[in-house]
Amino acid sequence: MDSDNLEKINIILDADVEIREVSGIATETEFLPIPDGQKIKEQVTEFDKKTRTLSGILNRIHSTRSEKMSALLDTARPILESCRETTAALADIVPPHQFWKWKDMWSNSLRTAVFAATLAEYLQDGALLSLQQVAETLGIKPEWQDRLALPVEDYLHGVINLVNELSRLAVNAVTLGDFDQPIKISLFVKDVFAGFSMVVHLAVWDTVLLTWIPAESQERPPSASI
Amino acid sequence: MTSLVSRPSIVHAFEQFREELDDYNDRRERLIKSSRDITNLSKKLIFLLHRTVTEDAIETDDRVLGLRAAARAKGKLAEIQSLFAALRGELAGDRFWHHQRNISPGVQEYIEALSFAHYLEHRTLITYDQVQSTLSDADGIPFFPLSLEDYLLGLADLTGELMRFAIAAISRRGGRQKASDVCSFVRACKADFEGLTPHFKELRKKQSVTAQSLEKIEDAAYAVVVRTSEYDMPPELLDDLVAQTLSRAADHNGFGEESRRKRPREFDYEMNDD
Repeated sequence: MDSDNLEKINIILDADVEIREVSGIATETEFLPIPDGQKIKEQVTEFDKKTRTLSGILNRIHSTRSEKMSALLDTARPILESCRETTAALADIVPPHQFWKWKDMWSNSLRTAVFAATLAEYLQDGALLSLQQVAETLGIKPEWQDRLALPVEDYLHGVINLVNELSRLAVNAVTLGDFDQPIKISLFVKDVFAGFSMVVHLAVWDTVLLTWIPAESQERPPSASI
Repeated sequence: MTSLVSRPSIVHAFEQFREELDDYNDRRERLIKSSRDITNLSKKLIFLLHRTVTEDAIETDDRVLGLRAAARAKGKLAEIQSLFAALRGELAGDRFWHHQRNISPGVQEYIEALSFAHYLEHRTLITYDQVQSTLSDADGIPFFPLSLEDYLLGLADLTGELMRFAIAAISRRGGRQKASDVCSFVRACKADFEGLTPHFKELRKKQSVTAQSLEKIEDAAYAVVVRTSEYDMPPELLDDLVAQTLSRAADHNGFGEESRRKRPREFDYEMNDD
């Protein structure tokens, strides 16, 4: 291999390593220094921390009475909003058109964030937060589309997690004496189910089917007893 | 923007998801199909190159044979390049990285064929920029970015072709020198790739295939040297003797087959069809 070619290869490699791990942003031929903390790995770690905290807080819905739910959600909201700093930082680092090259690095955190946002909305207003609304909540701007976006697949994964969590909540709400919640959940889940049946050929479908049946059967006994 | 409160609004939103997912899947299918077509054409081209450098029993000048092969390759390469040009719209903007894995088998096979033709013509390794320029329009604007991984994996496969080329050449007049050139070339390739393996898992796997190819060429070169020292004879007679020895070895080993079989690409291709 001639030395020019080898140098070229190393420039491309360094640029990718730089984006992934090292502070500073790389262009094809030169490195522009930017402030510390602006690398994908670091941002993903931050994102992960935030979404873990969110999961931790929202786990308490199973032991929170409905009158105190609103106060619990208020503690989750600032953390959800703080995800905007992370998404803005990621949009800054990812080079134009390279969204899909890097997105796997933060998919898990993003799905948890979708889950948290949609769960909070359901508990507050009983509605399903749309994809655009989740993106807005997380501060993801439409003009970043080729660098940072909320893909349909990640939104749907988040919604599936929501449904799973609600099937658990239906049981636990009854334990806490809330007999209305299971019926509300049942109706809501049926609506979401109708939505998912629009995208049947999706790979995630199996996951839905597997989690759905217990969700439905668990709701029946309380509603039948009323 | 409002939340989805009723079943019709939820269903409507999910219908849009379906459209987006259908669009993605349709494009994916089209790209996989194009990638297969490109792979097929590239394979045919590689066979054509092998045929061209071995079929002429009279012509012994390497330069002439190499240039002849490269000239014949031009048309086929242009045909493949036009298939790539047609993918431009499908891979525009952020779509390239969304679909990169769908086309990479075709890209790699093309680079294998291209780099082989390039070697026969110039006796050098084609550079990243040269490959990218063959995948660009007349104004030098790329159809899509060349992924470094595809470039390197395509080159890793070139070493297998060179091994076949060297072994086929060794029995021909002047072929021993050629085999020795190829041997040092492949050795240099292997050394260059070694430093890059930490970055690419697939390349690490291909390194072992490259090592096998190299060993085969080295063994053949060794056999030639041993025979030369054993028999004090003119080069022409030696050529004949080498030809005999190798044809026996070929019947026995079926050399050149292993690395083809070991290549996991087609298998990966199926695996990606999820």
